[in-house]
Amino acid sequence: MQALHQKAKELLESGKVQVIIGYGDGSGDRVRPVFISKAESASDLIWDDRCRQNLAVYLNKPEIKKLGVPAIVATPVVVKTIIQLISENQLKSSNIVVLVVDNDVVSELTDNASLEAYSAGHPVVFPPFVVKEIKDIAEMSIQQRNKYWQDELSRCFKCYACRAACPLCYCERCLTDNNQPQWVCVASHAQGNFEWHINRAMHLAGRCVECGSCTIACPVGIPIGLLTIEASRIVKQEFGQEPGLHCDADSAMSSFKVEDTETFIK
Amino acid sequence: MSRIGVFICHCGENISATVDCEKVAKTLASMPGVAHSVDYKYMCSDPGQSLIRSAIKEKKLTGVVVAACSPRMHEPTFRKACAEARLNPFLCEMANLREHCSWVHAKGDATTDKAIDLVSMLVEKVKRNKPLFPIKVPVTKTALVIGGGIAGIQAALDIANAGQKVVLVEREPSIGGHMSQLSETFPTLDCSQCILTPRMVEVAQNPNITLYTYAEVESLSGFIGNFTARIRKKAKSVDEKLCTGCGECATACPIKKIPSEFNTGLGMRGAIYVPFPQAVPNKPVIDRSRCTYFKSGKCKFCASKCPAQAIRFDQQDEIIEIPIGSVVVTTGFNIKETSFFPEYGYGKYKDVVTGLQFERLLSASGPTLGEVKRPSDGTVPKKIVFVACTGSRDPAKGIEYCSKICCMYTAKHAMLYKHKVHDGDAYVFYMDIRAAGKGYDEFFRRAIEEDHVNYIRGRISRIYERNGKLIVRGADTLLGAQQVEIEADMVVLATAAVANDGAESLAQKLHVSYDAHHFFAEAHPKLRPVETNTAGIFLAGACQSPKDIPETVSQASAAASKVIGLFSNAELTREPIIAVVNRTAPPLFSTCVGCFMCQSACPYHAIEQEEIKTREGKLIKMVAKVNPGLCQGCGTCVAFCRSKSIDLQGYSNEQVYAEVMELLS
Repeated sequence: MQALHQKAKELLESGKVQVIIGYGDGSGDRVRPVFISKAESASDLIWDDRCRQNLAVYLNKPEIKKLGVPAIVATPVVVKTIIQLISENQLKSSNIVVLVVDNDVVSELTDNASLEAYSAGHPVVFPPFVVKEIKDIAEMSIQQRNKYWQDELSRCFKCYACRAACPLCYCERCLTDNNQPQWVCVASHAQGNFEWHINRAMHLAGRCVECGSCTIACPVGIPIGLLTIEASRIVKQEFGQEPGLHCDADSAMSSFKVEDTETFIK
Repeated sequence: MSRIGVFICHCGENISATVDCEKVAKTLASMPGVAHSVDYKYMCSDPGQSLIRSAIKEKKLTGVVVAACSPRMHEPTFRKACAEARLNPFLCEMANLREHCSWVHAKGDATTDKAIDLVSMLVEKVKRNKPLFPIKVPVTKTALVIGGGIAGIQAALDIANAGQKVVLVEREPSIGGHMSQLSETFPTLDCSQCILTPRMVEVAQNPNITLYTYAEVESLSGFIGNFTARIRKKAKSVDEKLCTGCGECATACPIKKIPSEFNTGLGMRGAIYVPFPQAVPNKPVIDRSRCTYFKSGKCKFCASKCPAQAIRFDQQDEIIEIPIGSVVVTTGFNIKETSFFPEYGYGKYKDVVTGLQFERLLSASGPTLGEVKRPSDGTVPKKIVFVACTGSRDPAKGIEYCSKICCMYTAKHAMLYKHKVHDGDAYVFYMDIRAAGKGYDEFFRRAIEEDHVNYIRGRISRIYERNGKLIVRGADTLLGAQQVEIEADMVVLATAAVANDGAESLAQKLHVSYDAHHFFAEAHPKLRPVETNTAGIFLAGACQSPKDIPETVSQASAAASKVIGLFSNAELTREPIIAVVNRTAPPLFSTCVGCFMCQSACPYHAIEQEEIKTREGKLIKMVAKVNPGLCQGCGTCVAFCRSKSIDLQGYSNEQVYAEVMELLS
């Protein structure tokens, strides 16, 4: 942690960055995001196993952008997210400083190549309970699965916390906020909830970096991250493409390669 | 408040026989927003159009729905009628009551109810229509013709003679294509080269035509009137300006045993060669894959003998970029080789040849100087079997279509053989005879009646060699499928005509569609036969489907007339049915977040990146921008846009949603 404080102080003092996005102590045992713009506050940063929220979500928020060039304390999944955002033209590696901490050594990732190398070397590992959830759902019959999601999604009351927590839900005007026409029913009844969550999963297909922030954010505990994780897995299986690995990757869903062996598209 | 006018057409009896048009008009009259609703016998007639024009003025209509036939037929008619009454033509829509309702359903209440639904949907749409204005784009008045066969030659000459510039690109060292390889042409039996070579010379001499032989199209970007073509001029290893075409180099080349492409492998050429004596341009090229110098670094015999010092071993491929307004694709076809047919010997019998090889044997400029000789031993064959439909019309071979030219050229082959070998016997095995065309039926009857060619209806099961003879086994289906066995000296297979090599990759470079057999697809099989679905790119000849010379030439002239028509405008007018990225009030400026998924999804490369800047020039955001000249209005980007920031003018999300909701209500 000492090294992290030192690095943050240096970066702010040198003027290289104007704000450090990192983790700090919250109420109780919780961790909360902190936005540090003064060198003397650098010691507010913490780094331990509880630091799991995907801070990349803040990089594209207009109020954070206003603070200036950011440095971000990044877990492996944050690095993945940043790569995905670069590939979607939402970020440039030259405009941010990514700080990764390994065994109390802090390194700066400042270009696409170093981000990609780090991401390749740090695969995201799911906690055991997530692995079990994925396995349980995979083993269900279609009817059971339908019932499972009907039950789970019936608790959703459309607070859109999942959308706010997701670093890849960066649209300035969401599809659901579009009422000419009203594509997605805003009411939180069975149909409206299904429409929203299916749309969310489709919009994240092949883009979800599997950080789990949406599930963590859900106030009623719906494991909605499983939908986007599964969608990404299908894309990987069908098109061999995994998000968050290459800064210049095309979107698997919107690009066509001439050498594609699939004949259905002709 | 909308004031929509609804006009129900009876189309004579076409619609009114099954749909109660009067009831439709009455029901629609009470729909909210409908200010006027009438029915009439023929809306497209002059009095019918007058009804629309006067209603627009008298009832101050803000939109018009004409419920009649397919918009493919009369949409322009009715839009023009609206424009005459000073209503923006894009505020007029058509409901298709004929093809979509009256023709496909029986008379009854349900049919009338469906008609009411169809019209109501359009009323809901028109309420949300916005005035649109045609798009104008400039035109570069240079045409690119790809392929220098007879189609390309004809198209290039027609365009050039109309005073427009043409760039003709041919991948072989000479123009001429397949026609230059033919002996005589059906049904008049005039010598193919005699009628073709004057056209080839004309191409070379026409000041409006720039000819690039031994060149290929690398890529084509841009849109109608404004393409940019990148052309790779392959290194010929000869300085064309210095070369006099004397032919000393070809004589000097020590390699003489390369099968000549022009003579379909029946003759030989050197590593430096001119494909045939009348080649245009008559300048040799070095085949680098065969040349001793390029393989081992030694030789240069040709260079030492060249009186003009024109050999350039260090020449590189050159890529040139040319602005182009329109493209004519005339890349032709190819034929299946004998090796494709295991039942006919996999190509291992030398005396089983393709129709094209037989053309060379018949040709006065061919390897035998026009004498029919067996490739195996050079003797004159006394009995030849011709097999029509070899591979064609055979789903088992994956070629379901008719190759079209074989019936006629097989009759010609048999006839020419009989003219040359008077005591010879010619047999033709056929499935059906397709001789539709001016003088065609008479021609093939002449083969039977005057030249005594034996026509046997049936197919060949097998060909094999026995004692220097080819045993042809088949059935005569007109004699109750009786087995036939002929001991022939030679067999000519009318192998299937297939798409040319590289047709698929060229289609992808040009963004034109193609069929399962890699033949290029026309925009409409009947009404737009020489246009592709990509505006400004036209087709002619056998690259679209197998064709004979008269048909190819008329198509080439048709494509040329399309190009000339295009070039007769200073600017082009296009329908404004295109996608548009939205603009909103600050601080968003547009709901587009610039993820550019639409850019990779767009099949026409019509999406660009645009910077939105402050007055001081500071970048606010990057957003997508649709190039109106390139966009074809397919809507793929609209479906991809997560934030629904792109919309299709004339078919907006709002309009289509309203239509669907009206149908469900």
